[in-house]
Amino acid sequence: MRKIASYMLALSLANILTIAVFAQSTTISGNIVNSVTGESVSAVSVTLRGAPAGTFTDDRGNFKISFNQKLPVTLLISSIGYALQEVVVNNTSQPVKVQFVPANSLGQEVIVSATRVAQKILESPVSVERISAAAIRNAPAANFYDVVATLKGVDVTTSSLTFKTPTTRGFGGSGNARFNQLVDGMDNQAPGLNFSVGAIIGLNELDIDNIELLSGASSALYGPGGMNGTMLMTSKNPFKYQGLSFIVKTGINHTDGKERPASPYYNWSLRWAKKLSEKFAFKITTELIQAKDWIGTDYRDYDRSNAVLKAGSRATDPGYDGVNVYGDETFADIRQVLSGIALQAPFLGPFISSISANPINVSRTGYTEQQILNPNTVNFKLGGSLHYKITPGTEAILAGYWGTGNTVYTGASRYSIKDFKMGQYKFELNNKNWLVRAFTTQENAGETFNLGATTQNFNEAWKPSPGATGWFSQYGQAYLSSRLSGASDLDAHTAARAIADVGRPVVGTAAFNDIYNRIRRLPVPKGGALLDRTDLYSAEGNYNFSSVTKSFADILVGANFRRYLLSSQGTLFADTAGKIGINEYGAFIQASRDISSHLKITASGRYDKNQNFKGRFTPRITAVIKVTENSNIRLSYQTAYRFPSTQMQWINLDLVSYKLIGGNKAFKDIYHFNTNPAYYRDSLKNGNKVVKDFPTLNPEAISSFEVGYKGLLMETRLLLDVYGYYGQYTNFLARTEVAQSKTGGPITQADAITGQIYSVPINSTSKVKTYGFGIGIDYRFPLNFSISLNGASDNLTDVPSNFIASFNTPKYKANATFANTGFGKAKRLGFAVAYRWQDAFYFQGDLANGNLPAVQTVDAQVSYKLPRSKTLLKLGANNLLNQYYYNGVGNSNIGGLYYFSVGYNVY
Amino acid sequence: MIHLIKKFKIAGLLALSALVFYTSSCNKDLEQFTEPVISNAGTLTLTEAIAADPDNSLYNALLAKSGMAPLFSDKASLFTMFVPVNSGMKLFINVISGGLVDINSPDAVFTGFISANIPAATAAALISYNTIPQKVTSGQVPTIFPNYEYPTILNPTGTSTTAGFNPFARLTTFPSRRGTTLWVDNIPVTAIDIPVVNGVIHKIAVLVAPPTKYLWDDIAASTDLTYLKAAIIRADSGVAVAGRIQTALSSFGANLTVLAPTDLAFKQTLTGAITQALIPVVTAQLIAFGLTPAAAAAQAPAVAFAQASALASSPGVFTNPALFSALTAQTVRGIVVYHVLSAQTAPFFPPGVRIFSVNIPATPTTVKTLLNSSPLAALHPGLSVQATGTGITVKGAANATPSNIIFPADRNALNGVLHKVDQVLLPL
Repeated sequence: MRKIASYMLALSLANILTIAVFAQSTTISGNIVNSVTGESVSAVSVTLRGAPAGTFTDDRGNFKISFNQKLPVTLLISSIGYALQEVVVNNTSQPVKVQFVPANSLGQEVIVSATRVAQKILESPVSVERISAAAIRNAPAANFYDVVATLKGVDVTTSSLTFKTPTTRGFGGSGNARFNQLVDGMDNQAPGLNFSVGAIIGLNELDIDNIELLSGASSALYGPGGMNGTMLMTSKNPFKYQGLSFIVKTGINHTDGKERPASPYYNWSLRWAKKLSEKFAFKITTELIQAKDWIGTDYRDYDRSNAVLKAGSRATDPGYDGVNVYGDETFADIRQVLSGIALQAPFLGPFISSISANPINVSRTGYTEQQILNPNTVNFKLGGSLHYKITPGTEAILAGYWGTGNTVYTGASRYSIKDFKMGQYKFELNNKNWLVRAFTTQENAGETFNLGATTQNFNEAWKPSPGATGWFSQYGQAYLSSRLSGASDLDAHTAARAIADVGRPVVGTAAFNDIYNRIRRLPVPKGGALLDRTDLYSAEGNYNFSSVTKSFADILVGANFRRYLLSSQGTLFADTAGKIGINEYGAFIQASRDISSHLKITASGRYDKNQNFKGRFTPRITAVIKVTENSNIRLSYQTAYRFPSTQMQWINLDLVSYKLIGGNKAFKDIYHFNTNPAYYRDSLKNGNKVVKDFPTLNPEAISSFEVGYKGLLMETRLLLDVYGYYGQYTNFLARTEVAQSKTGGPITQADAITGQIYSVPINSTSKVKTYGFGIGIDYRFPLNFSISLNGASDNLTDVPSNFIASFNTPKYKANATFANTGFGKAKRLGFAVAYRWQDAFYFQGDLANGNLPAVQTVDAQVSYKLPRSKTLLKLGANNLLNQYYYNGVGNSNIGGLYYFSVGYNVY
Repeated sequence: MIHLIKKFKIAGLLALSALVFYTSSCNKDLEQFTEPVISNAGTLTLTEAIAADPDNSLYNALLAKSGMAPLFSDKASLFTMFVPVNSGMKLFINVISGGLVDINSPDAVFTGFISANIPAATAAALISYNTIPQKVTSGQVPTIFPNYEYPTILNPTGTSTTAGFNPFARLTTFPSRRGTTLWVDNIPVTAIDIPVVNGVIHKIAVLVAPPTKYLWDDIAASTDLTYLKAAIIRADSGVAVAGRIQTALSSFGANLTVLAPTDLAFKQTLTGAITQALIPVVTAQLIAFGLTPAAAAAQAPAVAFAQASALASSPGVFTNPALFSALTAQTVRGIVVYHVLSAQTAPFFPPGVRIFSVNIPATPTTVKTLLNSSPLAALHPGLSVQATGTGITVKGAANATPSNIIFPADRNALNGVLHKVDQVLLPL
């Protein structure tokens, strides 16, 4: 309490200083409290009727507003969740006391993402979901990304404790290049690694004003990439949200000791915002998460050449390749060793030939994820911004978000994202009618390493695979020796492994750590490190001509420019010769017009050009039909597209078992595909030899129709939202495997296994179709009880049989939330229980494919408010029943997380 | 850190704990795949099956003595064992005891002999040599001529703790099949395919004793193969050690069938050949002495024969400088290698073949020799072998008549088998 008191002192001092800066004639001060609970209400808009003056209440509910008008004046007091209130002020001698009355806010929220112009969510022409700060406050989630998962039609792939990737309408996965995440207008994608890092480098929970989520094709407004949706996270403006806030969240996970002993979870976040004058405000935000991560514990046997799970274990399959076991990707047919022995010892020849009818594939002994992955996940975020109002309507913002941390990502292998750093810095000028923004994303992969490649190379560093004294030679000799003693095939393999593995470094010993730490710092292919330092520079602007063109239509135009600068010193991209630049630019125009009082039509178009690809125009047309005052039907035809990601263009990663390469034409020369052609691996396996040519890739596009209805029913207690969509992809981007002769000689069928394998990006020629629907119901009961139910279905059809679409989305999923934001004495208690179910589906990932069983989770929280000290106590659980689940083959197995938090000034 | 956990627990985890640890299996665990169960035929292990069969009681005593019973009780292992019936064990013991143990003695006498007179190591070697480390049913024994080479579990270099131990050194055994009739080396199999959990048993008529010496040692020690020994040494003269025939005959890795002409055969052949070479010389000498050409021609064969007989009367014939021009090292080498059989159809290892007498078919069959491994003689027709019903004949390309394999044949050695023959085989 003493601490809080000192904060109060600092704050009041700051208020006094603020007053000194005022220079206007009349000043009204006041205080706003909740009429039910008596607690002060912060961030309430206080404006003067008929004048531009306006302000927000501070964290104690106090406001001061100055103007040049004569008394009496009318103050308009408004905030989401409260009834609009008008207060007439006749004199300034006494502070104005406002009893602010809570009101049902269902369907009253304002969104900007759907058209880049503020509008009521009920009138959005496309499907949009919104999460307010209040919703996050009462959500049963330790991390606000989990709240996103409760929205209709949203899937979140959880790679680890802090790595969560949302998507809508398909294509779940750790790295999702079809779904944009924007933080304060900045694309949050790590430009080199191609995944959005909002969960680890972005806003902290306290600084979120709102999250808007556009489902489906949305790139007509937000540029390439938003094929499946765009999530816009908007931070709290320090002019509006002031004061010091913090949350100290302490928790525990691994309570059942299944993966590791129970371990603490810490999540501390802090935000301090200060309005120093009516012109200048700033904020500082920071967050620290520290915990023991979830790990991947899928030890099933994977048949990598056919990309399916199979029966077997280390004990029963000599060629075992466990999903979350690394290093065992290296294998060899030990018949090479045996036939060598037969040459030396001809009397064993017949015996050896009798056991050599089929390949004897043996894999190196691997290490499990649990053994090699440092479980400490640390995430530190630091952000801040300076806001200066050049005029009352024009604000200049200088903002930066920087973060560092350790987490785990699932790509072609599991990646330990270690000491990863990313900074996003922007300068923005905005006005009611226009906006100019420039930002850069500076990425540094730190000591990030690939578990598979690192462990494979670790094994080589300890004992090389090939050679007369190599691991496979030792294994083959020991195997034969055991067979010659009558051991069964399996026992001989077990004995052989024991002999070849003599002296194998034990996890945790100095011998292990010395080698492992050396190898993981070496870039692939000798180690497993990614030295990615890719940067993105972007500038954009838009102008709303509505004030001029109002009589005819509301017109909005905008343009942007992006430059990627790939830098990995040849460890991730084909950039050994120096950084690779990629330029993209685009422009859009949008016009909307109220055709009648019941019909509004909006048309927009966007043109984008990437230096490596043909330009592309994407149109969008939407209509909103007003059925009643509070219900609308929406219709839209949207197109979206994406250029191949930076990795799809330029990646050049030797994963030991195969090479992952990009689609840029430069690779033709790098790997001599003109003189030593590559063949489709599938075709080679079947004995056909189909040459893979390397045409320039085309951007992937989707055209989508959507119809929806959103309306308030039953005296505005029920909000119903339904939608259905149908879309068609063209030039669908995926990957395929090709094989090339290692010697440069003519290709043979055996090269499908023993040749150089490449994974190359391709455009599918078939028209892949997608369709789905969603329905959501929110009902507000009396006494603040509410229930939300939603369900959605997403489908992909006409996928060619040999095509890996990685749609990775359940056919059906549903959420149910039962909550109360205030009940009991003085409505201090709150709770929420959220249940989620998703159907089983077949998962296709770069790491592994396999069936994902249905998943059910229950999250819950109870909270208690202490209004006087502005404290919010919360006891919560994510995955309350500790029912481990995973939502990607090879991803971490997620159990229960139980936490208790103390929040101060959480608004 | 700990105090925070404690604090947290106190704060209310207790209230939740009932739910937390309530685990109604809601989310499925990883989908697992069932592995196929391998079922072995038979219910008894090798050890049990041998013990259970009264006709194997003497072999069972040998097994007990060897201390190897636990190995053959291991259900995970796989073996093929050639198990001699009691009559075969008796014959074996009768032989190795030098006739001291009468073949008609009661079983107890034989078991007593095994227990008292056969050292454990010897017993283990005997058992090991009759054991193949994989399951080979009768149907799996190829019918190819002459037989198929299988390693036994007998490692002649000792155990892994012995100096010079080579884990891959194995004495091999040579099962063969004609129709449903099986042999191992030259011993008939009397009952086939008795299933056991860890392999299969074939009963055999007599215990197959492991060889103990190399072909060269056998040749060198045989009093009736002294000419062959001398011929080999002559053939190897001027040849580096690695390329010598003697080296091959003394090497563990080799697998050879040697048709060994006896001293008598060499004498006959050499006498004849030298006589023929001497007749013109003697005839000229007699004419020089004053005989008429007709008289000289009439007397010369007898004189030449007498001289030739004297020259060929000892193995020294191969080292007699007077005959160097007639019996050049190359000529002798050509003759010697023509007596060593070779297979031409080996899958991927150097040619080698071990033909037991039982492997030789009733129809004349061509067998290549090491002579064929010379590029100059690659197309040489080789030898023709045949089981005639009364014996086995081998005919060289230039021999007027077939020679006979002298019984007892099948002198098995570490690196091959040797059959004595009554003629020197002539390639041309």
